[in-house]
Amino acid sequence: MAEMVTVRLKVNGVAHEGRCEPRKLLVDFLREDLELTGTHIGCEHGICGACTILFNGEAARSCIMLAVQADGSEILTVEGLMQNGTLHPLQEAFREHHGLQCGFCTPGMLMTALDFLKTNPSPTEAEVREGISAVLCRCTGYQGIVNAVRAAARTLGGAAKVESGT
Amino acid sequence: MSAPAAPKLVGARVPRLEDPRLLTGQGRYVDDHRPARTLHAAFLRTPHAHARILRIDAEAARALPGVAAVLTGEDMARDCKPVRAGSRMPAYKVTSFPALAQGKVRYTGEAVAMVAAESRYLAEDALDCIVVEYEPLPAVAAMEAALAPGAPVLHEEAGDNLLLAREFACGDVDGALAGAHLVVRERFRFHRHTAVCMENRGALAEYASATGTLTLRSSAQCPGIVRDVLADLLDIPEHLIRVVAADVGGGFGAKASLYPEEIAVCVMARRLGRPVKWIGDRREDLLATSHAWDEIVEAELGVAADGTIVGLRAEVMADVGAYSIYPWTAAIEPVQTISFLPGPYRIEHYRGRTRGIATCKAPMGPYRGVGRPPAVFVMEGLLDRAARRLGMDPTALRLRNFIRAEDFPYKSPSGIVWDRSSFTETMLRAREALGWEAARAEAARSRAAGRWVGVGVASYVELTGIGSAIAVSPGMPVPTGTEAATIRVDPAGTVTAVFGIASHGQGLETTLAQVVADELGVPIETVRVLHGDTALSPYGTGTYASRSTVLAGGAGILAGRDVREKTLRIAAHLLEAHPADLVVQDGRVAVRGLPDRYVTVRDVAKAAYGGVRHLPRGMEPGLEATRFYDPYYGTASNATHMAVVEVDRETFHVRILRYLVAEDCGRIINPLVVDGQVHGGVAQGVGAALLEEIVYDGEGQLLTGTLMDYLVPTASEVPAMEVHHVETPSPTTLGGFRGMGEGGTIGAPAVIANAVSDALAELGIEVNELPLSPERLFRRIVGGS
Amino acid sequence: MKPPKFDYHAPRSVDEALGLLQRYGGDAKVLAGGQSLMPLLNFRLSRPAALVDLNRIPSLAYITEQDGQVRLGAMTRQRTIEFSPVVKERLPLLREATKLVGHLPIRTRGTIGGSLAHADPSAEYPAVLTALEGEVVARGPKGERVIKAKNLFRTYLTTSLEPDEILVEVRMPAMPAGAGFALEEFARRHGDFAIIGIAAMVVRDGPRCRTARLTTAGAGPVPLRLRAAEEILERDGLTDAAIEAAARRASELVSPDADIHASADYRRHLTGVLTKRALKRALGAARG
Repeated sequence: MAEMVTVRLKVNGVAHEGRCEPRKLLVDFLREDLELTGTHIGCEHGICGACTILFNGEAARSCIMLAVQADGSEILTVEGLMQNGTLHPLQEAFREHHGLQCGFCTPGMLMTALDFLKTNPSPTEAEVREGISAVLCRCTGYQGIVNAVRAAARTLGGAAKVESGT
Repeated sequence: MSAPAAPKLVGARVPRLEDPRLLTGQGRYVDDHRPARTLHAAFLRTPHAHARILRIDAEAARALPGVAAVLTGEDMARDCKPVRAGSRMPAYKVTSFPALAQGKVRYTGEAVAMVAAESRYLAEDALDCIVVEYEPLPAVAAMEAALAPGAPVLHEEAGDNLLLAREFACGDVDGALAGAHLVVRERFRFHRHTAVCMENRGALAEYASATGTLTLRSSAQCPGIVRDVLADLLDIPEHLIRVVAADVGGGFGAKASLYPEEIAVCVMARRLGRPVKWIGDRREDLLATSHAWDEIVEAELGVAADGTIVGLRAEVMADVGAYSIYPWTAAIEPVQTISFLPGPYRIEHYRGRTRGIATCKAPMGPYRGVGRPPAVFVMEGLLDRAARRLGMDPTALRLRNFIRAEDFPYKSPSGIVWDRSSFTETMLRAREALGWEAARAEAARSRAAGRWVGVGVASYVELTGIGSAIAVSPGMPVPTGTEAATIRVDPAGTVTAVFGIASHGQGLETTLAQVVADELGVPIETVRVLHGDTALSPYGTGTYASRSTVLAGGAGILAGRDVREKTLRIAAHLLEAHPADLVVQDGRVAVRGLPDRYVTVRDVAKAAYGGVRHLPRGMEPGLEATRFYDPYYGTASNATHMAVVEVDRETFHVRILRYLVAEDCGRIINPLVVDGQVHGGVAQGVGAALLEEIVYDGEGQLLTGTLMDYLVPTASEVPAMEVHHVETPSPTTLGGFRGMGEGGTIGAPAVIANAVSDALAELGIEVNELPLSPERLFRRIVGGS
Repeated sequence: MKPPKFDYHAPRSVDEALGLLQRYGGDAKVLAGGQSLMPLLNFRLSRPAALVDLNRIPSLAYITEQDGQVRLGAMTRQRTIEFSPVVKERLPLLREATKLVGHLPIRTRGTIGGSLAHADPSAEYPAVLTALEGEVVARGPKGERVIKAKNLFRTYLTTSLEPDEILVEVRMPAMPAGAGFALEEFARRHGDFAIIGIAAMVVRDGPRCRTARLTTAGAGPVPLRLRAAEEILERDGLTDAAIEAAARRASELVSPDADIHASADYRRHLTGVLTKRALKRALGAARG
């Protein structure tokens, strides 16, 4: 029988500690142990992107990471986007441009778009399409999402710097 | 009584009311509910396409720590009846669909055992320990072979694999085709498809033994239908069952049917007295959620020298999979194909025959468009073939044959009645918006320069908002013609509108609130729409067949009128005025022309609940109404799609250069939502045309069991779309609404096929098979072994 | 789809990791970025007794230049490679390939060592390593050994790494200044594994072609160096006719397998098409 492991991490700025089996997927830890159900499970094989979170500031699939691997990390989930009761400009743009319908892919789409805009603050339409192709959406035909991400890029004013690797 | 003030919200681009919760992670999908003591279910799914179950040994699984129970088909049979999707349709054979396989399995992925454990991880561990001994039987993998004499039979009770057959005939089609100037024929193949809702199916059952009440939270489109059938299958009185489908992550028809897992979690919860939750994973979704289409259509179209259609004849074969799905039955797809094949055209002589054939595949079920995507692919493909041979412009050929303004209402040769529609208008709008002539000339120049560029057109009409005159699926026993709304104004003057429909992305919380707010003359902020909960709503079935705006909207209008009328009567009493002299707007009831003489809706509501002394003589207290609506025939909805595509001469990749829709969904409630539905529908149609295909091998094994194999398009494959609206209010529905959730998917496969055929016309290649993978084009163009 | 039970170890050093691999005697799996292994675990297609997670060994993530080579620690993330100035300057083909690896959120976690050790013949990195005649360093109980690209890939998802060895470093010779390069891929959907990919590099010397490199992805069980096609270019130069001839030769050299997305014939056809396209683009980018 595999032992339980302790996972300490910061999610949306709040420190959490939990114990789980080492095989527990990060997305299940967030949803079940921390009761942050905003991050969704769509495929559990890293294709659909619904479970995308920011892991130490970078978009990653939480369905193909173990919770134990997140020990010591800082995570941002969709629940952490709204500040002081105000929607993040990206969330606002999704609402304004009808960038969501059923809402299931939306958390992963938002986190992916946020990371994408950090690496490319003023993208072309084709670049936006390529950037969000990391997440499958079955409702919108992507048109509203593309419009929303482009609008958010304008709102955010290219303030985010291009992130370079080490 | 007084007319409502001019609509303010209907027609406005209102941002959706559901968005704030969905954007912040506060949506509540089935898997987000975690009652105390919940057990997690997992299903053991057979690796065999067709086999007899000889023995199931679950002792090791039951002994695992954390495992509460393991059920097999025999256990299940003791606690519930098998599903039998009935139909009054002649030549339909009723067959059983048990919640867990009994005696034998009929498709790879069919559930043979169910585990409930303290976590999904433990439940899956337990599945690993269950031993099933099978006697493999020959697989029925292809529909053509399934009908051959001596073919293995899936359902012994049916006698053979032909589950249904139907014919629509009108006029003398054989004579008409014999006398036609030109007859074009083709064998069309539209392969198997599935919905891939981003939220996998899931169900959570709770049973309270003291009261005998069962609550099922399900990712269902039709909570009402599920509630009704569970009462029968589980022998629980209907009023003790509550089915809730709150936030649902997409449905597209695939969540409109009753699924075995929904029954099984109820049985397990009732047995164990603990909540039981099953959340399907993507592998289960691809294996065991209903599939769509998979048809072979042999069709012939006869035309006169001037392009006038003289007759249409078609033979349809549909692979309906292993089971007949409830409540729609295996007939829904194949019969709908022949119902809609004649399209928006005047056709006097028609014969469509269809057959639904059982094979070892996941059951066929409703999916966005149902039967019409193949029907339109066939009809529009035939029209283009005729135009090409006659040397006619394809739009001119269609314009010549459209049902004209003076023909409405028009009874189609399959018996559908089309109300006043805008077939010609949407075609002309699309032509103008695209610049049809210029686009064709440009494509011709590109082709002359060696590029394979083509322009395509496709038109269709669909039946939406179907009332009680026609069953949504042929002969089905569940009534689908009515919906209801309850509108309640509370003493504070705020409004709760409850509907039996469910919303899974369509934005009905917003659009129905727009309708209700306009009827009542109150701000939309004061209206809350509830849906998808059988315990809250008046009787209803759910959301399917592009019905909810028409039926729930209509019921909302009726209930809203009642509430408004009572509001006016109370206000008149309070203002000492005549109701006919009052107008209600922005939450105030004022005397016409005297805006300062008013009471608020809140004042009225307070009076309504204050007792009879505040009310006109004889009036009952309260401010609430429930009304039912049945549009009887339903209404048409139509569109023309146009596309410009380029086929890569070397890789055979198809790129969509331009995509345009001119559609008519009647009176538009919210343009934002309408455009979103068109965009999403087209994207699914693009997937169907180019990427998505469920593939089984010759042994009935699923080869597309992951999202790496079943290719849902990403933003990089879906083109930017232009959407144009022709707004012809329906003459037959309250509010003039027409349903429009499916249209995008209906038009897209046909128009892409036609555009590719245009691009390849010089090669003599006409598309007759979808999806149009580069491999298929390679084989058509280059050949290869 | 939840992974089966396994022991989990996150060693802090390569030696500790090697000790763990020995302890499990071939029943342990090395976990790098996890973008391929985790799906296999979730599907329960892989059921190791233990996972040895390299993500807590920071010394395995680096990019340095040494002796004309660029050396990348096995745990260097694809995302880091994508934005690395050294890679942009010295290994532009690797940079181009990296942008084609899945999607950005995949590259956040995915590593170069993990991708090579997974040895998916449709993946970009095995093709690039082969085209650039790179090598990897494997460390085992008996010490380190260098494995050349041509000796690394054995067949589908199989390398010549021993079960008790860990791939610790990837070395690629810096591309010659002015080398033209291209990675041409054909996939049905953005971000997917290629049906066929062709990595090309050409070094011009006036009208002549001093060096030509052509490698496939997706055209068989291992990335395939198309030496006979390269020879045509090195002999005849980078003329249109030579490129056509090399492309034809390329399609004859491969014996791809069929799957649900593409037949062997179509893959062979694409090999020719993409060889031509890769060479033309590489030629366009080449200086010298």
